[in-house]
Amino acid sequence: MRSDGLIKLIILTVVMIMLYGQDTVVLAEDRIDCLICHKYRGLSRVDEQGNFRLFYINNDLFMNSPHRRNECYECHTDIKEIPHDKVDKVDCTQQCHIVEPSGDRYFSHKTIAETLAKSAHGKLDADGNPKPHQEDYPGCKDCHDQPLYRPLSAFKGEAKHGVSMRSISRCKSCHESGNFAKDFYEHVTSRLHKTRFSLEITEVCAKCHQDPEFMKRHELDDVITTYKHTFHGKMLEMGSERTADCIDCHVVEGENNHLIESKDVVTSSIHKDNVGRTCMASDCHTNASPNLAGFQTHVTYDREKYPLQFYMLVFFKALMALVMYFFLALIFFELMRRLFPKFAFFKDNTPHHFADLGEQDQQDKEDKS
Amino acid sequence: MSVKYDPIVYKDGVRYFHRFSIHQRIQHVVLFSSVLVLAITGFPLRHASEPWARPIYELVGGHQYAPMIHRIAGSVLLALFIYHTIYWMVLFYRNDIGKLRRENNLTLRNVGKAFLTQEMVPNKKDLRDVIHSWKYLLYFTNRPPRYDRMSWREKFDYFAPYWGIPVLGPAGVILWWHNEVSHAAPGIVMNAAYIMHTDEALLAILFIFFVHWYNVHYAPEKFPAARVWLTGYLSEAEMIHEHYNDYVKVMIEAGLENEIKPQHFGGEKYEW
Repeated sequence: MRSDGLIKLIILTVVMIMLYGQDTVVLAEDRIDCLICHKYRGLSRVDEQGNFRLFYINNDLFMNSPHRRNECYECHTDIKEIPHDKVDKVDCTQQCHIVEPSGDRYFSHKTIAETLAKSAHGKLDADGNPKPHQEDYPGCKDCHDQPLYRPLSAFKGEAKHGVSMRSISRCKSCHESGNFAKDFYEHVTSRLHKTRFSLEITEVCAKCHQDPEFMKRHELDDVITTYKHTFHGKMLEMGSERTADCIDCHVVEGENNHLIESKDVVTSSIHKDNVGRTCMASDCHTNASPNLAGFQTHVTYDREKYPLQFYMLVFFKALMALVMYFFLALIFFELMRRLFPKFAFFKDNTPHHFADLGEQDQQDKEDKS
Repeated sequence: MSVKYDPIVYKDGVRYFHRFSIHQRIQHVVLFSSVLVLAITGFPLRHASEPWARPIYELVGGHQYAPMIHRIAGSVLLALFIYHTIYWMVLFYRNDIGKLRRENNLTLRNVGKAFLTQEMVPNKKDLRDVIHSWKYLLYFTNRPPRYDRMSWREKFDYFAPYWGIPVLGPAGVILWWHNEVSHAAPGIVMNAAYIMHTDEALLAILFIFFVHWYNVHYAPEKFPAARVWLTGYLSEAEMIHEHYNDYVKVMIEAGLENEIKPQHFGGEKYEW
């Protein structure tokens, strides 16, 4: 019996030594071993459109991502065997295999997609007909997969938590095992603060809304540049995190961020009946009156649309041009006058003394009296 | 205001003429300090998307403190504007209205006349001097204009802030108290205030930088800097060059008729 125990100990030690030094990172939920191929950094090809496609999965990044608890095949549902053929695009609205920890529902992004479909960014109009230029309307990844929109924390490997990680000890007193407490805690607390700097949000919107071709197709003004001319935009550029970005004004306070509606929709945050309340939202202009919403944010200085601003601008530019050109010319000619101080087309060589009051001085005296 | 200044003083054998009292010089220091602070805390915001804007803004307090500094400097400038107006009114009352009252000539017509002969108020001679300046600058005459105590260029320099502050100041106050103002006025007032504030600010800064600083810094005879804003006195050469009529007047009043020098024109050699 004693030798039995010894053998077990030896085997255990050998196994431990073998395991030591191996990749200790928890592999992705990879029960069917996708990473056997996708761990290679060069895994790529050129697709039919001539685009270079990289299929490498960085396991560290994936394990820090919101989708870390999903199996690969749970999103890539058309993959049934390995190696696999060309795969379809992932449908983000399909039901996940993950059960919401707070209830017994299976998790799904479907509600978000439905909200987006109702918003100004939906592909169908109110009557259910497709809007023109279908390809311009965004899907999930058009916003959520921009490099700018990816959290820097993922690359640095440090996720930002809402409150002190210490408070998770309260959860752990009951939820002892597994990652449940940590995941649930992070799920909630990461949503207690803005995860993206507002400037990045404007960049995401600018991807389409500042594209000249896009603006022309949809007859839209350059809302990004005009926003940047407001104090909101300026303070944002100066690093303030307390100023309003696109979403703060274009989503009703407390509403789903994906529900950005046209100003013509009665429930919209910028509909003329609601926009006052939007400005007066908590943390914003709480002690203003709804009048404040009369401030025009996206001013293009178009003569028809913004006559007051247009004519004021013309007035000030004209004043500036008049004053500056006059005095710059004066300075220029004064410097030029010094080049030939003795020269003049008409010389007045009469003795020049205070007592010798010329015609002009006489006139001056008359004027003053 | 009651300090008496010698109209002419001598230092190192050079004659100096009194221009500005210490009271006025302090007002000028307050004016330009607050304007410089306003410019440095305002222009980065005006050009927020430029790469240089943020570093400069951070240097003057960043988005947390720069707006506060800007508002303090703006309040100082507005207070100075009001103070200066009262200062001028007191001087006008004491020097002109008081005199008229003592002489029992206090009529509206006389007060108006007294106002028009104030040294900063533009008059017909200024209009003629403008034309004369251009004639001189374009080589049509060899005689530069003979300016009084204040030339038309100095008057313009003076009224630039006197026009600018009433445009910039209230607009700035509206932008500052936008929430409170919204209870009394429609929101588009903020749009108007915004244009007034930023465009007039650009004009003011351009004017100061190019025109005013040419007059007192870049001009060859002033470079690197004029000193009258510190000492309050202008040298005889500068007086002859810039205020010949006033120079003659002061010299005669001081009983120095025989020492009056001729006006520089046609390239006399003179030393600054």
